[in-house]
Amino acid sequence: MTSEPRAFLALDLGAATSSAALIGRVAHRWRLIGSLAVPSAGDVEDLVRELIRRAAAADRDLAGSIGLASAAGLTDVEDARATLPRLVARSAPPRTILVCAATGRALAPLAAAARQTGWRTTTATFDGADPIEMVGRLLDPAVDVLLLGAGDPPGADERRLIGDLASVAAGAVRRRPDLTLILAGAMTEQLERIEAVAGSRGGEILLAPPATAGEPSGSALRTLLDEIRGGADDPRRSAGRAVGALADVLDRRVELVEIGFNGGLRATASPGVGGAPAEATVSIVADACLVPAESGDELVDRVLAWSTTPVDRHRLRDRLRELRLWPWSGVSGDGARLRLAAARAALAILIDATPAQSAQPGPDLVIVSGGAFAVAPGPAVALAIADVLRRPAAIAIAQDHARLIGTLGIIPDAMERRQALLDLVDDILTPLGSVVIPGGIRAGASAGRLTIRTETGVSETDLVPGGLALVDLPPGATATAEFQFRDAVRLGTRGRRFAVDVSGGLGGLLVDLRDVPLRLPERMDRRRELLEAWQESLWLTRDR
Amino acid sequence: MNPAGPGRVHTPPGEALPPREASPAGEDSQSDASPPPVAYQAAGSSSTGSGGGPVHGLELVERRTLLTGPLEILFPLTPGDRPIVAVSDAIVPGTTIAERVRDRRVVDLPAAAVREDAQPGDRWMAGSGINAGRAGRIGSGPAGRLRRGSGPASGELLHRHGTRWAIATGEHVEPIDCPLAGVVRDVRPGIGIRIRAQGRALLGVEALGDPTSGRLSLGSERGDQRQGQLRSTSLNVGLAGTILVIGSRVDAEALTRARAMGVRGVIVSGLGGKEHRDFLASESRQRASLHQLPPFAVLVLDGALRRPIARPVAAILEALAGRVVAISVDPPALVFDEPDVTIPPTPPDHVRVRSGDHAGEEGRWAGLAGVRRVAGGTFLEAGWVVVGGRAPIAVPIADLERFA
Repeated sequence: MTSEPRAFLALDLGAATSSAALIGRVAHRWRLIGSLAVPSAGDVEDLVRELIRRAAAADRDLAGSIGLASAAGLTDVEDARATLPRLVARSAPPRTILVCAATGRALAPLAAAARQTGWRTTTATFDGADPIEMVGRLLDPAVDVLLLGAGDPPGADERRLIGDLASVAAGAVRRRPDLTLILAGAMTEQLERIEAVAGSRGGEILLAPPATAGEPSGSALRTLLDEIRGGADDPRRSAGRAVGALADVLDRRVELVEIGFNGGLRATASPGVGGAPAEATVSIVADACLVPAESGDELVDRVLAWSTTPVDRHRLRDRLRELRLWPWSGVSGDGARLRLAAARAALAILIDATPAQSAQPGPDLVIVSGGAFAVAPGPAVALAIADVLRRPAAIAIAQDHARLIGTLGIIPDAMERRQALLDLVDDILTPLGSVVIPGGIRAGASAGRLTIRTETGVSETDLVPGGLALVDLPPGATATAEFQFRDAVRLGTRGRRFAVDVSGGLGGLLVDLRDVPLRLPERMDRRRELLEAWQESLWLTRDR
Repeated sequence: MNPAGPGRVHTPPGEALPPREASPAGEDSQSDASPPPVAYQAAGSSSTGSGGGPVHGLELVERRTLLTGPLEILFPLTPGDRPIVAVSDAIVPGTTIAERVRDRRVVDLPAAAVREDAQPGDRWMAGSGINAGRAGRIGSGPAGRLRRGSGPASGELLHRHGTRWAIATGEHVEPIDCPLAGVVRDVRPGIGIRIRAQGRALLGVEALGDPTSGRLSLGSERGDQRQGQLRSTSLNVGLAGTILVIGSRVDAEALTRARAMGVRGVIVSGLGGKEHRDFLASESRQRASLHQLPPFAVLVLDGALRRPIARPVAAILEALAGRVVAISVDPPALVFDEPDVTIPPTPPDHVRVRSGDHAGEEGRWAGLAGVRRVAGGTFLEAGWVVVGGRAPIAVPIADLERFA
């Protein structure tokens, strides 16, 4: 980007989806010209060719102005494909870590750190374990990294086991020279014993800080695990940088949630203070993927709890397995609803796995991203977010429809990254709407009244507890929502009267008067009916 | 902000529609039906259709490799199992490559009973007080056989703690046979044996059970083997020693009965979650029983839902009918070493609808259809597919697959 190109390609090569965006310099600004996403099994060059061809076909003059077409208006697709600069984000392949400790108490913080840094995490405790089973797990070829940890200082119950655990691990490390071993906390003292057995090997042996080191607690180990997982151009890792820049550009607290094929991402950032750049908190949770490789009963229950489709458990399990095998298939019919139910389940896992981020001040803007949300109508996606990400607040919701946030985060220079986001922010974020979720609404006939003031007029709505109120507010429009509640509620602060500036979107303004957290009927049929009723009004493109 | 949704290009695609009689029900074109307004120079980017002309957009359809090879196959081992082959050994079908210990346990030995230079993973044998080295044939022969007595006769060194070694040992072993020809590439005690299989392989999405081999049988009473469903009543002992091609779906009872009848394996397009679970439970019981049946495997070609076997895949299976083939579990594949078998070529524009409204149908790719509204109210990139002599139908690209 230093040789003043007039256009470039931003590619996001994920596990399930390959996405290409063409970005051009128009009127001294970077603008999103077009984007295209297809299942990742194909050749990305074919995707790029098609994108360039379509861009040239759509607007010959624009293609000429960004250097895609000759003076005669002809586009040499092959030449453009070969010469356009590229910004490429490539998802790191999923890797598995086995977290092992002497006791369950020592294991918990280690496993939490691994789970928040994108690792597929399995755990084992030495206390009372079958020795052969333990060795078998350490030798499992599916395990890429072994994290062996102990408290620092070790607890009384750990001390007697640490030596034996180190012996078992040393035997496994000797037999798997490719295995990366991380010793954390007091286990680092066993390095000599392990090295004496390990011999020459390709895998590294690394010393890590204790599981609770750093501020906030555990951050030091998380940083190390994130580095080891690798993927310098991984869009989930780079998304944190982009979200920080977005927070600065928009001067708002921003939260990005992404549910993808191999994991989920939650990145939160607040604008920097005193000229300092914003710092983002990033959690990558492998368990929060759309459908895990193993569709067990727990997963089926989680998805069934959000499903609006009458389907029995066996059938649902089969469909989830298919979704894992062919993540883009079967979207037609009720496939998109099933996918959105799976996305809700995954989002709930993501939220549960990141309590520290939930404890931060609520965001002003939530950005949704990832293939899980790609095929549902925008308003339905906004409702899915409101269903799961429940906190008393007023938030705007937007969608990273062209999968560009992670890719732009790859830009190494902070100023360039920020400038690119400043230019592109309106193009890359599709506004889905605003959601207002008051907390502590009491049951009754009416919770109060809502007055919406827009440039074109004023409208009033009665607020019914337990329901959803939809206000038509198109993308680009802004309004002031004045709430007059009957009783005091929580909406940032506690009170009865609030005035909130809201922005429009594909779903308009959604006033969510349901419980916080959401309470749903235990009976599946009633739960499904209720979810369906809520979703029906927002699935605008449904068949009628 | 841009109103276009995810997965959609903001520009009108400008695809030329193939001739058709009527729009399929439930689909609403969002694309521009006019021909492309600009010259299109995409050298090397278009595939050639069966008619010889360019077929634009076919490259965006997921390609499924029909045949691959040679394949590297993993035979997993657990601590205590004894490999009896070494790297570079040539294997013929039926060779025993390892012994699996059925009653594994850990025994502590004094360090003095083990050689000083012993390492985890080495084989240990009683009597001479020496370890028998790493995987290989060293441990075979009389010294490697288990003997009666109170202590273990042999085992696998696991780890040393202080003045003692832990070994994995057991008294009852069963052979692990390799059902195909190949060359041993890697032997790692407690982890697995990798064998580079000779011949070609048809990949599936999943395989359950143990690697096996047998004569491929399409069955005579099921008619179209692509669509067939195996019922337990249609099985008899005449199918013993065969690998059966079932078609679209099989139930758990039929799998159990097939195994009891001596069938060596089943190839099926889809295996439901319930059948999957029941089969694994049956396998687990079988492994725990004293008298084991020959290895049995289920190769799943497509997934969990019912759909016929793809025609190009069925053509391969038909060509292999009556020949000896093997099922590999890791990776899931049908392996065959039949150089003289000619596989009928698949036209490059042949596509199959893998899922969705037209799942199972196959036809000819007729070009991109642009972003289309599909049943359920979502918008997806689609392509035109001509099925039989009917009018083209628009199918989401993600629901399609082509073969190569």
